[in-house]
Amino acid sequence: MAYEDLREFLATLDKNAQLLRFSDPLSPEPHLGAAARAVSNLTDRGPALLFDNLDGYERGRVVLNVVGSWPNHALMLGLDKDTPVKEQFFEFARRWDAFPVEVGRREDAPWREHTVEGDDIDLFHLLPLFRLNRYDAGTYIDKAPVISRDPDDWDNFDAQNVGIYRIQVKGKARLGIQPLPTHDIGLHLRKAEERGENLPVAIAVGNEPVITTVAGMPLMYDQSEYEMAGAIQGSPYRIAKAPLTGMDVPWGAEAVLEGEIVAYSREVEGPFGEFTGYYSGGRRQPVITIHRVSYRTDPIFEHLYLGRPWTEMDYTLALNTSVPLYQQLKKDFPEVVAVNAMYTQGLLGIISVRPRYGGFAKAVGVRAMTTPHGLGYCKVIIVVDETVDPFNLAQVMWSLSVKFHPAHDLVVLPDLSILPLDPSSEPAGITHKVVLDATTPIAPEQRGHFSQEVDAPAETEAWENRIKQLLK
Amino acid sequence: MAYRDLRDFLATLDENGQLVRLTDPLRPEPHFGAAARAVANLTDRGPALQFDNIDGYERSRAVLNAVGSWPNHALMLGLDKDTPVKEQFFEFARRGDDFPVEVERADDAPWREHTLDGDEINLFHLLPLFRLNRYDAGSYIDKAAVVTRDPDDPEHFGKQNVGIYRIQVKGKARLGIQPVPAHDIGLHLRKAEERGENLPMAIAIGNEPVITTIAGMPLAYDESEYEFAGAVQGSPYRIAKAPLTGMDVPYGSEVVIEGEIIGGVREIEGPFGEFTGFYSGGRRQPVIKVHRVSYRTDPIFEHLYIGRPWTELDYTVALNTSVPLYRQLKQDYPEVVAVNAMYTHGLLGIISVRPRYGGFAKAVGMRAMTVPHGLGYCKVIIIVDDTVDPFNLAQVMWSLSVKLHPAHDLVVLPDLSILPLDPSSEPPGISHKVVLDATTPIAPEQRGHFSQEVDAPAETEAWENRIKELLR
Amino acid sequence: MSTPTIPDTCPRCDTHEVSLLTESPVPGRWSMYLCGVCFYSWRSTEPGYATDPATYPAAFKIDPVDIPKMPVVPSIPARRA
Repeated sequence: MAYEDLREFLATLDKNAQLLRFSDPLSPEPHLGAAARAVSNLTDRGPALLFDNLDGYERGRVVLNVVGSWPNHALMLGLDKDTPVKEQFFEFARRWDAFPVEVGRREDAPWREHTVEGDDIDLFHLLPLFRLNRYDAGTYIDKAPVISRDPDDWDNFDAQNVGIYRIQVKGKARLGIQPLPTHDIGLHLRKAEERGENLPVAIAVGNEPVITTVAGMPLMYDQSEYEMAGAIQGSPYRIAKAPLTGMDVPWGAEAVLEGEIVAYSREVEGPFGEFTGYYSGGRRQPVITIHRVSYRTDPIFEHLYLGRPWTEMDYTLALNTSVPLYQQLKKDFPEVVAVNAMYTQGLLGIISVRPRYGGFAKAVGVRAMTTPHGLGYCKVIIVVDETVDPFNLAQVMWSLSVKFHPAHDLVVLPDLSILPLDPSSEPAGITHKVVLDATTPIAPEQRGHFSQEVDAPAETEAWENRIKQLLK
Repeated sequence: MAYRDLRDFLATLDENGQLVRLTDPLRPEPHFGAAARAVANLTDRGPALQFDNIDGYERSRAVLNAVGSWPNHALMLGLDKDTPVKEQFFEFARRGDDFPVEVERADDAPWREHTLDGDEINLFHLLPLFRLNRYDAGSYIDKAAVVTRDPDDPEHFGKQNVGIYRIQVKGKARLGIQPVPAHDIGLHLRKAEERGENLPMAIAIGNEPVITTIAGMPLAYDESEYEFAGAVQGSPYRIAKAPLTGMDVPYGSEVVIEGEIIGGVREIEGPFGEFTGFYSGGRRQPVIKVHRVSYRTDPIFEHLYIGRPWTELDYTVALNTSVPLYRQLKQDYPEVVAVNAMYTHGLLGIISVRPRYGGFAKAVGMRAMTVPHGLGYCKVIIIVDDTVDPFNLAQVMWSLSVKLHPAHDLVVLPDLSILPLDPSSEPPGISHKVVLDATTPIAPEQRGHFSQEVDAPAETEAWENRIKELLR
Repeated sequence: MSTPTIPDTCPRCDTHEVSLLTESPVPGRWSMYLCGVCFYSWRSTEPGYATDPATYPAAFKIDPVDIPKMPVVPSIPARRA
């Protein structure tokens, strides 16, 4: 089960009553950002929002909140839209194991229909760009896979990177980008600049949702996002060669922008409202010049609202943050049952374990803080028993309320690394972290009175199935 | 808007699609407990369950989960069933301000239809009693309003107590009860035993839901539950005199049991699966001798599943725990915005405040631990800003993820009192407690980088309303 | 209807003071029993976990000698003079 392109996914959403169309005339600001914020505020089962009558555009279309709910996330995975989050997690983790799945190549990509070059390019005419949050520096592209290659190893497919970075549109064909040094694109840029070269890039706007999700995933440097997308969607991921740069880009993209990051350029960028719920502040960051744009007829501008959780961003990052942490913890600690690291991209995470012996759960929490992702996140880790669903916060609160003893179960670690965007860190990038152990103490730790837990009555599962049918 | 009796409320649930009838022949064990556990496992929007074909009974009926979901809780308050929890909280708190509302007396109570005295009484024939959880000591009555008077001041209406206590059915007309010393009934019993008397009492089974909710609320000793129920339902609460003991009991009850707690007697009771998710252990507790039973034709046995949260118990105690805490905190701290103390009856609570100055939020958390209810609960208190909805756990997780700095925001208080049922306490009844301060630091506390929070785009609220309409 | 056979042993405390608590209103469907020592009660139609002394879990068994040592709640006050 794989979606050919964004349009096919939107059709599936529509069939499942998970797409709303707005055809009344609207000015992009503040309505588009407000509508996407509103739908996340209201529900975690909300629809995607498609706008097709935008002030100043003949036929421009914008779609927001495409993966911005659990039903939409389930449909992305080809699952029933009512699939519980925990089941989506296990399915995602299971498919991960099929990595790598070789790609499918085809050269008849629909975005070959139209081409614009050089001075003819005007991104504002091509796409209905708009300001998302009140004090963003301008219009951004924030949901497009950016493809770059290793300048020292140009033909290595696996070292080709597909990632999502925030992109400020600074001119008709001029962009600012945030390639963090710890990300793969940062490494590519560094190598290019060491060689005294610009770094060619392609930016694919408007895609089926799996590649967007995988592009936000912390894979190893030489793991191909396309081969991971193939694993997640369960069939070879279809790609095509971008005509100018030769980058491999998604076959089904709405628009493909090609250009290069200009070596040594650093120019003020931002602030931009970030996933932490705070603006990023301004920084001097690299600049991209666009040389060529390819696009389908009437391309759809797919965009993502982000800001204070929950927003679409939190859905797109939920499992692609949780599953890698789970896989990494599992290697040494097979007792790890599930990981929910979806709060502010894993600044807070909840891990369920089957503790091996007393004190073990705390070790799992501390280990999470030393995984690659944990070095910059995992400020608060809550560890719960295997019988608790870490995706069910009411159950997690119960665990904290009856299993957690603050004299024994609070581990504070001073002055560890954290992403500088954490507004509480001081200096930015340094914070204490804490493990809250809400598991049942086991031998050799003897305390409390936990031997008489109330298990579910016999036949509970049969009744769950019966009542589920009655409620359909 | 007030419900006349349980039947009136069940009819409203039915009209709203919130009642499921199960008419196939069923044995009480394990099915009733399993079904109620199952519906709570599946959803927080589930229906009440009515069983009316019970093995061994001609015409008996049992109802479980009557208030066991947010829609049912909203309907109890006469609100639209989709009313968000936070709005239910504010409405409940607002109505509490009307306390006291004088009662209304009527003497034609439907439970006067039938009477049994002395040796004619067999509670097992009158009601389909059953074992709820696997290792409960026997059949219990766990959702009935127990009415007693102050033996030193029997005419004082306000000191008459209406409370819910677990009651083990130990014989056809013989019960065990748990009157905790800290509760009003414990005080009544103590006075009776000091006087060398038995304590007369009435047990009203099967009621409209408001009195059941109020009976579980920690009111002051001389505050009348009936006058508070009148405030919450918005009209005088209707009561009637029980014929043998003269207790004031709900007019609409299905069954009224009258008898007395035998002075000076203690006998093994329990264990019983409790709201902590653990069994209570066995204790030696008082015994009740039943002398008279009055009942409606074909009385409905209303019962409540209790065990690991969430269960119906957690809905019934959610707001009647949160609202008193809120009112008590408000007295000195008008900056308190809302209180969500619904995790394990307030062992964990979340408080939203508008901090007055740096350090203030921690003081609010510590105060919660010293209010009457807090002395036995409030082991973990999380404080969030006024912009965060404490009933929205994803928002609370966000607050912890970006606002909590473990070097500054963890306050551990050693060896405080806690209810002995907390399985982590050691010795039972003693635990450290902790305040997690997830509010934004304000002057004179200068730390972090919180000045640029991403607020919602302009027009967000208008879009919430528009999308809400479209999703109907 | 024949009189139901009263079990010999309490599943929970393994003593032998079991009595008939009640029979079903519709005759012959079930009986309930009561232990006179630990006041455990059970219905004849319940699953084995609640009725069989051999498989009743150790964590929930009660030794009759422990009953007098159980906490008294609430404690019994002295009579007023």
